[in-house]
Amino acid sequence: MDGTVIRSAALASLLIAAPMVAEAHQLVVFASVDCEAVTVEAKFSNGNPVQQADVRVLDGQNALLVTLPIETDGTVTVPLDSVDHSEGLLIEVDTGSHDNYWIVTPDDIARNCQS
Amino acid sequence: MKRHLVTASLSSLIAATPVLAHYGMIIPTDPMISQEDGRSVGLTMSFSHPFELDGMMLDTPAAFSVTHEGATTDLLGDLESATVMDDQGYTLDYPLDRPGTYIFAMEPQPYWEPAEDAFIIHYTKTYVTAYGDDEGWDTDLGLKTEIVPLTKPFGLWEHNVFQGIVKMDGEEVPYAEVEVEFFNNGAGATVPDDLMITQTVKADADGVFTYAPPSNGWWGFAALNTADYTLPQEGEDKAVELGAVIWVHFEEWTGQ
Repeated sequence: MDGTVIRSAALASLLIAAPMVAEAHQLVVFASVDCEAVTVEAKFSNGNPVQQADVRVLDGQNALLVTLPIETDGTVTVPLDSVDHSEGLLIEVDTGSHDNYWIVTPDDIARNCQS
Repeated sequence: MKRHLVTASLSSLIAATPVLAHYGMIIPTDPMISQEDGRSVGLTMSFSHPFELDGMMLDTPAAFSVTHEGATTDLLGDLESATVMDDQGYTLDYPLDRPGTYIFAMEPQPYWEPAEDAFIIHYTKTYVTAYGDDEGWDTDLGLKTEIVPLTKPFGLWEHNVFQGIVKMDGEEVPYAEVEVEFFNNGAGATVPDDLMITQTVKADADGVFTYAPPSNGWWGFAALNTADYTLPQEGEDKAVELGAVIWVHFEEWTGQ
């Protein structure tokens, strides 16, 4: 069910590891997923896309899988077959002065892959 | 004899039910959905007296929609019938696929109110932000009548002021009367006088009104105007009260 609190063990462990950042001029990070890839989007709270940042992809055990540069349109694509996503993924975006994260849960992958 | 008349008159006054303000209501489970909250929001729709927690019949709305990133989606067929405040209402669980502000809007069918000898149509809306992105919080939906927020309609502390512009047919309504009422759900608020169940403020010459609530919780703002058309009731043309209703949540202040 979409509206309930996500309770997976993988998410719980990711949440513990995830940075809790919410500053002025906030960085908004979101990741959508389908059967093929995770598409990461990052923008500032004024709507401007992030131009330069490191995107770190971690697995459900908080192990770093890959670090990618963000594109100038504020997005980056992570092929699912390039990472171990069985326990979900933690996506961190770090501009150097701002950082935030998005958690891709196993439920997200399953739900969007079915649709 | 004169004394008896006075007594009878007083009794009838005491027995009289106060005229309660009607409100269209759209109440989300949470106005600010974070990724930890899940991937959807629950909504409860009713036509009620929110302070008194007194429900009324909400027939199937004429329209129910969500607007996000400039696109409006019809959700009327997705509403689930439900009992709300002991009367007919509706619920909806809506998936939030992307960040941003989602504006849920309801146009009810005209409600015939014999006590006012008029129909009531409350164009009702509320704003929900998803995943830390507030873009779109000041969206003007272009409804027949509408309160367009000047203050971001979520993420407000209790006692913050809320400001909005009252519009009718896209134009500001000078000196519009705005009724304000608290959704007294679980709060146990009481009033020293029935006059305080519904408070009233007036907009300025530009249609802008301001209100600061005394507590956290859901507060409804209803700008009421008379339509420029009538509707038939038993062969007679009757006036139509058009309400522009917005529901805004204020958060409890966490400081000392």
